[in-house]
Amino acid sequence: MEYTRRSVLTALGLGAVAAATGCSASSGNSQATADGPVEGEISLLTPLFEGSTGKDLLEGKLLPAFKQKNPNVTVKVDYTTYAALNEKITTSLAGGLMPDVVMLGVGWIPPFAHKKVLAPLPDDLAKRYEYEDRVLEPSRYDGKLYALPMVLDTRIVTYRKDLFAEAGIKAPPKDWAELREMSKELARSDSSGKLSRVGFDPFSIDLRQCWETFLFANDGNLFDDSGQQVKFNDDRGVEALQLFLDVIKDKSADYSFKSSAGQPTTLQQGRSAMMMSNNSLWVQLKKQSPELLKEDKVGAFILANKVPAMLQGGTMVARSASSKHAAAAQALVEFMGTPESILPTAEQRGSVPGVQDLRTSDYVKNNGFVKLALDNMSKARSEGGTAAWMEIREKIKTTLETAVVGKRTAKEAIDELANLSKEAISRL
Amino acid sequence: MPPVETSARFRTGRIVLYLTLTAISLVMIVPFVWMLLTSVKTPGDIAAVPPRLFPTEWAFGNYADALRAAPFATYARNSFVIAASHTVLNVLIASMAGYALARLRFRGSSLIFLAFVGALMIPTYTKILPEFLIVRFMPLFGGNDITGQGGTGWLDTWWALIIPGAVSPFSVFLFRQFYLDLPVELEEAARLDGLSELGIYARIMTPLVKPAFITVALLTFEGSWNNFLWPLLVTKSDSLRVIQVGLSVFRTENDTQWAFLMAGTTLATVPMVVLFLIGQRYFVQGFATAGIK
Repeated sequence: MEYTRRSVLTALGLGAVAAATGCSASSGNSQATADGPVEGEISLLTPLFEGSTGKDLLEGKLLPAFKQKNPNVTVKVDYTTYAALNEKITTSLAGGLMPDVVMLGVGWIPPFAHKKVLAPLPDDLAKRYEYEDRVLEPSRYDGKLYALPMVLDTRIVTYRKDLFAEAGIKAPPKDWAELREMSKELARSDSSGKLSRVGFDPFSIDLRQCWETFLFANDGNLFDDSGQQVKFNDDRGVEALQLFLDVIKDKSADYSFKSSAGQPTTLQQGRSAMMMSNNSLWVQLKKQSPELLKEDKVGAFILANKVPAMLQGGTMVARSASSKHAAAAQALVEFMGTPESILPTAEQRGSVPGVQDLRTSDYVKNNGFVKLALDNMSKARSEGGTAAWMEIREKIKTTLETAVVGKRTAKEAIDELANLSKEAISRL
Repeated sequence: MPPVETSARFRTGRIVLYLTLTAISLVMIVPFVWMLLTSVKTPGDIAAVPPRLFPTEWAFGNYADALRAAPFATYARNSFVIAASHTVLNVLIASMAGYALARLRFRGSSLIFLAFVGALMIPTYTKILPEFLIVRFMPLFGGNDITGQGGTGWLDTWWALIIPGAVSPFSVFLFRQFYLDLPVELEEAARLDGLSELGIYARIMTPLVKPAFITVALLTFEGSWNNFLWPLLVTKSDSLRVIQVGLSVFRTENDTQWAFLMAGTTLATVPMVVLFLIGQRYFVQGFATAGIK
């Protein structure tokens, strides 16, 4: 078993969380209600505004607007990155100092709601604005609403229209058989037989999220509705991973053809003809390769096999169950969940707004990938769905990677992952 | 063997050696050159296909823009205060501990030394949570009562940034090895002359292990200057954040501002490079000596 910084901390932390939430003198009422005056100093832990422009937006625009509506509330912000968010929450919980308001990723609600560290929100908040059902799903646990969606990040397939035209391909693939065939046609090698362009690059996004997108497009599931049973270890999960091995075998994909976040992507460089992407790629293209957008050389589509599916990640805002200023914390959660807060937040990150009400905004209309995602939210699927998710998510990439680099078959890797997941669930 | 042949063989050996060292130096320096050049590139140059080594347009303004993006003067000051404090405390306390373990005979010294060696084997990340809890429940600080409840302890204070990482078992081990190697006659002569134990440590033995001090000082300063996770976990206020945390403003989940990140990283690397240039002779000597043991 591989030990990473996160897995060690998660293992240590989640063990300590139960003790901290149960024993700490400062954790207060574990289900503090949000009645009472909207006042006091509250803390906000956020991985969403950590960049320089994000800080300007939060402190220069959003929090002053919140203060105007709630003059007796002071918000102290604790900025972090997504990479260190789990550690921040884990140590805060273990120390009995959970922030009053916390922004969490999709899939994170069940583990923390299960530990009773988040407070349920009034269900009518789910009807304030136009939400797609799929978007609210990851905000719920055990039938209760625990968070409001802010921004979403979807995984879509982007492609080079000019390379498609060059190969005489008229429309994007409708299923994996077509995807595989087109990848072969679009791949190019140099005179020595070395790949110079892959037909399909599934590896430039996180392998966990990529495989999940393929699993969902194959009509598969990660877990059952109760979050107690592993469901991904059937044929649909194995086929999803097998496809990566098949395109490598076809010499139309290569694990070394990938780009890190923020680097010019293989698609921009013309080193791939199709690529799994985050919708934020649009903003990156505008900055780094505006000519590709201007000349309409890049398109996007939703991955499909048995069903069309798009992985939906994103950030939600929730209230701590131990907040001493529950009403103030809830006011901030509600404020952050309004379209007025969501729109500039989505804009500064190139993300998809969490409410459908913003579909007609200029931002959405002028961002092709965000528009595609928002128009197809009914096809969105979320990761997570079990209270053991924080432990399981750390193991997915490393386990799947063993198959991608040829150390195991797809079935062996999926079986191994299923066993690890079952163990994690059994420890709940 | 004739002297001419020996000399020719020697010369060939030197040429091969220098060529190898030059190649290794180039490999080592390329990331730094790439960082420097990227720090003065425009986004277009950074995204160029194929990648260009030199920018088409030199964007020196990236440095000013990067410095404006966050309070880097505060972050640099904080990093310096923490790194300097760690260095002074580590050098002072670890050298005393190393001296005691090497030169003084007392009951349980072997056991204590074994405990230090054992501590070397504990992975850093397994210590974070227990250390965090000690800091958070520190009695009589940050509103805590005598049992450590009611407040926030050392969290979001200089104490949390400085005390937990101040002394490392590795430094104690390194100092012990150096002190162990000094001739016992020196110590005995000083004792006969009536010098106190503290005097023997400070005036006789310590001047002879200067490389150990430079090595520990440089390693401690470098480790503290580059620390990211611990300062992020124990602080909330921007006024207590350090340079490595500050640099993360250029790298978000969906975007990386490479030019600014590289400009900030260049500035953050400068103190380390200067320190190494000043102390490199002793630093290499320190490692060589420690390696021989």
